[in-house]
Amino acid sequence: MRAHVLVGMLALGALAGPFGCAPKTLYRWGGYDQALYDHYKNPQKRDEFVARLSGIIEEAEKSGGVVPPGCYAEYGWALYEEGRLAEATVYFEKESKLWPESRPLMEKLMRNVARARSSPPAAVPASAPEEAKK
Amino acid sequence: MKRLLLLAALAAACAKPPGKDYSKLVSASPRAILVVPVVNKSVDVDAADYFLSTLSVPLAERGYYVFPINLVKRMLEDDGLSDAALVHGADPVRLCSLFGADAVLYVTIQQWTARYLVVSTQVTVEFDYLLKDGRTGEELWKEHQMRVFDSGSANSGSGGGLLGALVGSLAAAIATKAAPNYMPLAREANVKALEYPGPGIPAGPYRPEYRRDLPSSVTTDPAPPPAASR
Repeated sequence: MRAHVLVGMLALGALAGPFGCAPKTLYRWGGYDQALYDHYKNPQKRDEFVARLSGIIEEAEKSGGVVPPGCYAEYGWALYEEGRLAEATVYFEKESKLWPESRPLMEKLMRNVARARSSPPAAVPASAPEEAKK
Repeated sequence: MKRLLLLAALAAACAKPPGKDYSKLVSASPRAILVVPVVNKSVDVDAADYFLSTLSVPLAERGYYVFPINLVKRMLEDDGLSDAALVHGADPVRLCSLFGADAVLYVTIQQWTARYLVVSTQVTVEFDYLLKDGRTGEELWKEHQMRVFDSGSANSGSGGGLLGALVGSLAAAIATKAAPNYMPLAREANVKALEYPGPGIPAGPYRPEYRRDLPSSVTTDPAPPPAASR
């Protein structure tokens, strides 16, 4: 009988373990890591990846939570690669505002975008979507 | 009695005293960490990118700003650094200044393998983590983790035995013969590697316990320049 109680306690303890040691998460990631994984597994499904990044942002903004570090920029970069330069800038700017640590990089990217926008579209990305797949 | 000991061991696992020298990490006090593509020493060519995808969440959850994984990878590729070994071999100070990072995390996959035995599948992952200072290039922290999962004994390698047995259904998820799923093991290794107190790193600026969770050896002696203050 006592053994049973002990076993029960053990099981409870083990179940509580991962939560007991680590409190709840700082951010609502919305499957960012899974989206990255799927993107690397199936790079041809790029649209899906971009849509999921957008979904993560929307979800976090809607719930009043903080958009996790890097997510605005990751989405901005995806837009940049598609040549959607004006939109890309919006997200680089958001990352920069939310995460001051990212500012130097975001400013650099925004300068690149500005340069690309002032030159003819054909000359835009060294990282065009078609090439991104290889 | 045996069970009590087990209980004690479980409790101890939650509160292991930090045995590492954190003085350099604490004085460098990085806020923004660059995670660069992973060097892959396994024979599974997909492992590097798959594993890369798991690194940002646990690190950011420790309270640090982590640069966007895919953006960094693509920027490096555009700069001609598509080979992770080249990136790891580059000057960390230059690398960090490119992105405005305070520190860079290098991870190497030592093992990412599945062995098909008669009645079971054994999945092994093994990683080395190394954090370097973006200003000095000095090593700030390192850690090594290995996880073994054997579908036969439903026993996951380093210390997760009981838990492993309880979540036995995980066995099926990991050790599918057609395509063993390394990801749960990889994620577990990352969480363990970064756990603090434990082998991991103290809280970063976005955690409430930032600067209040430091080992006493570091907090009581912040290593001021001995005579300079007078």
